[in-house]
Amino acid sequence: MRKLSFRYLPMGVGSKHGAPINIALVDQKEIAASGLSEETALEMIVQKIGGPVAVNVFDMEAVTTTSDGIIVPGAIIAMAAGDRGKIHPEFGVLHMEEIEVTEELVEEEPHLAPLFKLYPGRRLFRGPDPAKKLIPVHNVCMTGKAVNNNSATEVMNVITMEEMLLPILGQLQAMREGDIVFAITGGVISVGIGMTVAEKFGRVFPTRQFKAGDTAHNSGGYAQTLKATIPCLAAPKEVLARYILDVLECGLVPGRELGCSPAVLSVAHAFAAEIALDQITPRAWLELESVGISRKGLEQPSPELDRAEIIARADEIIPGLVEPRRVSSKDYFKKIELAV
Amino acid sequence: MRLMHTSLPEFKLKVQGAVIRQSPHKTLKIKGLENLKCAKMQSLRTGRIEDSVEKIAADKETSRVEVVVMPRVPETMHTVIVKGYDKDGNPTKAILEVINIIHPTEEVELEGFEHIEDRRPTIGRH
Repeated sequence: MRKLSFRYLPMGVGSKHGAPINIALVDQKEIAASGLSEETALEMIVQKIGGPVAVNVFDMEAVTTTSDGIIVPGAIIAMAAGDRGKIHPEFGVLHMEEIEVTEELVEEEPHLAPLFKLYPGRRLFRGPDPAKKLIPVHNVCMTGKAVNNNSATEVMNVITMEEMLLPILGQLQAMREGDIVFAITGGVISVGIGMTVAEKFGRVFPTRQFKAGDTAHNSGGYAQTLKATIPCLAAPKEVLARYILDVLECGLVPGRELGCSPAVLSVAHAFAAEIALDQITPRAWLELESVGISRKGLEQPSPELDRAEIIARADEIIPGLVEPRRVSSKDYFKKIELAV
Repeated sequence: MRLMHTSLPEFKLKVQGAVIRQSPHKTLKIKGLENLKCAKMQSLRTGRIEDSVEKIAADKETSRVEVVVMPRVPETMHTVIVKGYDKDGNPTKAILEVINIIHPTEEVELEGFEHIEDRRPTIGRH
């Protein structure tokens, strides 16, 4: 008998108030193996859970980027929101757009240059094509109380108005049954998620609006408050460190090709990698300084740690997350199998 | 244009009238228009809503009718006008801003309803 399996985090699990709605993660391979169409599979998952739920569909063979422009393997290719066993027929599902990887694309988006070396031939997905969605501004889908936002990296319950951040690396850890970190997002990550790179069909911005070295938030000292008090589900810092090191080793420079997030800058400094300090804008510095990252600090001599040392000391090197609690994702994400 | 659009007070009267025509003892509550002071409501839909209200009110089991008006597209874009006045009430300065608001969809209002008739046209149609 065929089956459809997915990973399920119940509402209320996590730091503080926990997940504001249920969360289901499903591999497109599982959908293919079930013999169901994606639409039917999503409906079955939503019916099984019944309450408000975000459902994210992954292609683990594809690649995506983090908000600061780090290439990572594994991508979300579709997102859904369900409630009361249904998916809203107009606003309940959104598909990410495949972006053809070409020399021209890499010229426009130089943070993608390591793709040819690290992940040749892999498909690339980030956000949706704005021309194919009905919701005017955000890359969001919703049904009833459930809101799945920013291309499936943030969930909300629009009645309780609680929210949770779901960075892509945390979700990919759950998909790989690795460790995850439940935490309060805090000021450093609030600042970091604004240090974006210019991307077409990005997870948050549809056009190449904010370049490396700049801040999408442009909020000065207030940027650190943006998501400071909401819970998040992140990856352990050594996972993030590995991916940052991968692209630094390919020659990418924070502030020039990579976003100038506290995580990227901290790893680059520890690794004695070049940082384009002059290309970080004054308004980005304002936000960085508000969470203790200063030009003066980055101009101090690097400890010149090697890859292994940085990975081993990632918790100490990469700032961010409040009251982190590292757990095995298998203890919190239930594996559910539905008979088809 | 009077025939194309109905005034807000007239809309409310028409909806109220649709309930009273069935029974003066049945009550009506309109939710979602509290913030509107003046507006022109689409006339064709006003008539159809009147018809829907009358149909719901005609049910012998129904004693109370609720009419909920909520955004059809659940993310709405709004202009925000911040205005200052001096002590005499004269304008000093205004700043225009924008805010996008995410709303729940209709499912939150339909909890417990088994029989739902969806008469809405697709987005972009009247």
